[in-house]
Amino acid sequence: MSTSIPQEGIKATDPLRPEPATVLEVITETANIRTLRLAFDDPALAESFSFLPGQIGQLSILGAGESTFALSSAPSRKGSFDFSVMRTGVVTSAIHELAAGDRVAVRAPMGCAFPTDDWKGRNIVLVSGGIGMAPLRSLLFYLLDHRDDYEDLTLVYGARTPDDLCFAQDRRDWEARTDLDFVATIDTTCSGWDGCVGLVPSVVEEKAPSPDNAVAVTCGPPIMIRYALQSLDKMGFREEQVYTTLERRMKCGIGLCGRCNLGPKYVCTDGPVFSLAELRELPDEL
Amino acid sequence: MRFISGENIPELLESFSAGGSVVWAPRELTGSGGTVLFERWQTGDPIDLEHFSSLSAKDVVLPRTEKLFGYTYAFGGGGLGTSGLGGPSVGGLGGALGGAPGEKLVIEPAPPEPPTVLFGARACDAKALNVLDALFNNPEGSGYKDPQYQSRRDALTVITLACTTCDEACFCSSFGSGNAEKAGSDIILYPADGGLLAEAVTKAGEALLAGPLFEETQMSPPPLAETTRIEGLESLEKKLPGIFDDMDFWQRISERCISCGFCTYGCPTCYCFNIHDEMKGDREGERQRTWDACMFALYTQETSGHNPRPTLAHRYRNRINHKFSYYPENQGMILCTGCGRCIRGCPAGLDIRDVLSEALKESSKEQ
Repeated sequence: MSTSIPQEGIKATDPLRPEPATVLEVITETANIRTLRLAFDDPALAESFSFLPGQIGQLSILGAGESTFALSSAPSRKGSFDFSVMRTGVVTSAIHELAAGDRVAVRAPMGCAFPTDDWKGRNIVLVSGGIGMAPLRSLLFYLLDHRDDYEDLTLVYGARTPDDLCFAQDRRDWEARTDLDFVATIDTTCSGWDGCVGLVPSVVEEKAPSPDNAVAVTCGPPIMIRYALQSLDKMGFREEQVYTTLERRMKCGIGLCGRCNLGPKYVCTDGPVFSLAELRELPDEL
Repeated sequence: MRFISGENIPELLESFSAGGSVVWAPRELTGSGGTVLFERWQTGDPIDLEHFSSLSAKDVVLPRTEKLFGYTYAFGGGGLGTSGLGGPSVGGLGGALGGAPGEKLVIEPAPPEPPTVLFGARACDAKALNVLDALFNNPEGSGYKDPQYQSRRDALTVITLACTTCDEACFCSSFGSGNAEKAGSDIILYPADGGLLAEAVTKAGEALLAGPLFEETQMSPPPLAETTRIEGLESLEKKLPGIFDDMDFWQRISERCISCGFCTYGCPTCYCFNIHDEMKGDREGERQRTWDACMFALYTQETSGHNPRPTLAHRYRNRINHKFSYYPENQGMILCTGCGRCIRGCPAGLDIRDVLSEALKESSKEQ
């Protein structure tokens, strides 16, 4: 909520009308999560499109409908962008049927980004689970692209089983880096997995990153977030140091249709990124 | 002050129609036993300026279903760098969603709206347009200009009939100048012997009243109706957050609600909407915006099964807060004009005035 980004990417004159885009590639992440690599059909828009980590977009399959997703790719990557989508309902099921070459339509970017400028010079701890890695993947790419601006980077990413961990190629790259402390963890032991085993909040507590000069960012299933927040609190992180990104049912994405509000604030425009301190000020309607 | 005789009123509507305008006017539904609605007027249609309409006139700017844009999957056109990629089309929803290989997606904006005249609105209907403008057509304030809304609003002339009588559900006197409100109107009409007095509010209204069907008169407007009044509704913006967490209160006041949504559909200011696609075959269709209601359980229901407003009490709380706290905080206006339609139309006999009075009482207690 701290950095409000002008919505330059969606048409100022007709923000409910999406721009045609084409599926460049579909990456199967897990049994129910796929990443779609997309490019706008209009070459000028494809070229000029940019966003910041944490911002969201609306992906349409005309005829099936439109849903909101976090932009999951590196903001520095030009010409294409990713949405990582878990199959759950009508629209996401249709999205899972898409193949390279298929035509979709996109409204993006929307909402506010992580306040990465305010975080310069600080240690960053990313805590994520399952599909909750999607917005944090974009954030991590951003932080790595501006690595010198930040101190220690830590990522704890968990899923139920090894097969439920997304972004296999990225994980290999992250593991190879010496300037990122990365732990992938799974909930219970599993043959063929010699990595970390344990629930995300416990693993964070074991790693015990210092709250001094640090911010923590968490995104994942509600139950994981709940325990992760407890752990961070126990470790001494204050509410102003903890950020999350919210999901709500959305239609318009521009603060009109009336679904995603927390009191007078709209998750689609005032969020989706909020600090815990900001959330405390808003009505508890999560 | 100008005057138009009763027999010239159909002539007036006819002149709008002949000039290319769509005309909306209140009309008793045939065989309905007194149900009056704003309808598209055609030559020869009777109009009803006596009874209060059951639903508001908001359809004129926010139709219950409207096209946002049309789409077509089509071959040809060329120039698409990716057109050679091919790939299977999407199945499962009965068609080639996503297009067949080589087809491109074309999105066409909805055409602009024709000029429209809203005749016989009441002050509460016209004021509601003014309240909706604050969100939908307000680049300086809300920062937003809705193309569909603005296209209708800019081409709209509002001719309002001032109320000399009211019923027990009316409570517009609780808001600003109440019945004498001129915001949102181009012309105000007053009942008079043998016809209607007419007073221009805007330049457009002035130009219309200069027409041959109107004559100059020395008559003065009749006294307007005084409705029920609730004092202190403006204070709810700051007071409602204080009782947000008092679920006992919200449960108690929403106990009788059956979630039918009439209050939102009948309301001149409720604007929350849904967006969905309507297909025509599997190659084309349109995206539509339709009225929705925050009183419906599915409104905020998420695919995961989670619902941030799981009970009626949560939804009722949001409705009252949106109207009397969130909208005033964000747009500087209360999202209610006191028309009383939600009171007249509620099948469970809920009266928003009781709810507001209770909320005022409860919030004073807790502060």
